[in-house]
Amino acid sequence: MRSLGGALLVLGRVALLVALVAMGTLALVRFAPGYFADAREMDAQHAEGARAALAARRASEGSVAALAGSVAAGWLHGELGVSRQYDVPVWELIRPRLRVTFSLLTRALGFAWLAAAALAVPLSGLGGRRGAAAVTLGSAMLLSVPIGALATLFLLTGMGGPVLAVGLVLAARDFKFLYSLLRREWRTPHLLYARAQGVGSVRLVLGYLLPALAPQLLALLLMSLVAALSLAVPAEVIFDVPGLGQLAWSAAINRDAPVLLAVSLLMAAAVGLMGACSRPAIRSSSGSAADLEAA
Amino acid sequence: MRRTALVLLLALLAAAVLAALRPGSSYAAQDREQSWAPASRTHPAGTDALGRDRLTRVAVAALLGLAGAASAAAGATGIAAGVGVLAAFGPKILAGPLLLVCDSFLALPWLFLLMMVRAGLPLQTAPLVSAAATFLILALLGWPACARAVHAGASAMRRADWMIQGRAAGLRATQLMGRHLLPRMLPLLIPQLLISVPVFLIAEANLGTLGLGVAEPLPSWGSMLLELDNSALLASSHWVYLPVALLIAFLVLLELCVTEA
Repeated sequence: MRSLGGALLVLGRVALLVALVAMGTLALVRFAPGYFADAREMDAQHAEGARAALAARRASEGSVAALAGSVAAGWLHGELGVSRQYDVPVWELIRPRLRVTFSLLTRALGFAWLAAAALAVPLSGLGGRRGAAAVTLGSAMLLSVPIGALATLFLLTGMGGPVLAVGLVLAARDFKFLYSLLRREWRTPHLLYARAQGVGSVRLVLGYLLPALAPQLLALLLMSLVAALSLAVPAEVIFDVPGLGQLAWSAAINRDAPVLLAVSLLMAAAVGLMGACSRPAIRSSSGSAADLEAA
Repeated sequence: MRRTALVLLLALLAAAVLAALRPGSSYAAQDREQSWAPASRTHPAGTDALGRDRLTRVAVAALLGLAGAASAAAGATGIAAGVGVLAAFGPKILAGPLLLVCDSFLALPWLFLLMMVRAGLPLQTAPLVSAAATFLILALLGWPACARAVHAGASAMRRADWMIQGRAAGLRATQLMGRHLLPRMLPLLIPQLLISVPVFLIAEANLGTLGLGVAEPLPSWGSMLLELDNSALLASSHWVYLPVALLIAFLVLLELCVTEA
């Protein structure tokens, strides 16, 4: 019963956050210059009645409260609205793009975690300070290149696609955290004792290290996913990948309120739920949050 | 290590100042006869598509980026300190809504939030206005994570012995905050400020590569990196990599200084 109450509380908090994000997005779009400009109203090809209807709709959605009301009414009827830019239902724009972005994020995250773990596990456990310093410097350099510039370079030189661009930046970021966490864990007395007793590295990693760090690793994975969502926007724009990031960018530039609202709510709900999922994982291990902060 | 990084960073900054103040150099002066010119005595790093001196533009971009990022970081840290302390020491009824506002800012991925807000503001403005708007947005959107950390630190101090003693002695809230709390908060605020500088620097560059940063002709890291989308130029001139190389150098040196600090 208590866990059900806790889950409802978490869901309520996520819903409140999503509602706040919705109000913020609506206010931002409503007051953005050019929001009221509709090219169709100046197009003589449209009938006078159609132009009057457009003007009436614009007048009815004048205030943020009216805009929020009409959007909420649509959402309650299962309609996300119609894109101002493409003139098609928002859900039809989002549905195919969800799959594209999900695929990009999954592959980039998989690559990033494999690369980060492949470097961090041996370097943190087997010493090799020079190797660790070289990889740390490399990761710092990768993190210093804006994702937009990295993606442009990859696109023009044909070195890789969006998965590699996003994956490399994520790998550099995850390596920093993973290396710091693992290095501290390898130096705990029970692992030092086990190593002195000659227990194999693979057994130590699978049997002791991973279970002990599972909560932090889960929290790190979720943080990594949020970062990937952020990196996907410029990567999709530059590589012309028809995903959610590209749609969001185009909606923001063209003041397409229904699309921008739907995408930002999706992102806020995803981040809010991920945060809610990672919190118990962090709490279950004392000091984990501090560990991640310190890392 | 930190001292070496700091010296190198200062040397780079001094070189940028000297390059920006070279006699006859201007970041906006165009010479259409000299577009994409290779390195020469008058243009040590060549010119861009409009015949503008690349070295001067990179130097001004570096100075503007660092000054803007540092100002935005100071602004964000100031807001975070105010909000965090208010949430910890203010009326209890305020703490919940303030932290909820922090969380609602953090509920969207950082770059997506930046892009959304910057795109919502006028894009065709005077260059200085666009620069001010870009860095102001960074300050206004970059404080919530820092405010969370400040709130955690300030909440711990609320229960500290010196605080209870100060209250019992009848010190006013302003005396407690100004004379006792602020000096103790500095070890928390200074790292937050230092961490924010490279984060804001790279955020501005990311916005610029999406065409949402500082407007031309004012140079910025983002607009300088836009040169990278010319494949013919990439093959013909190595100087086109100068902005990205310098950005990496600045950020790595900043990171070394911040980490060691």
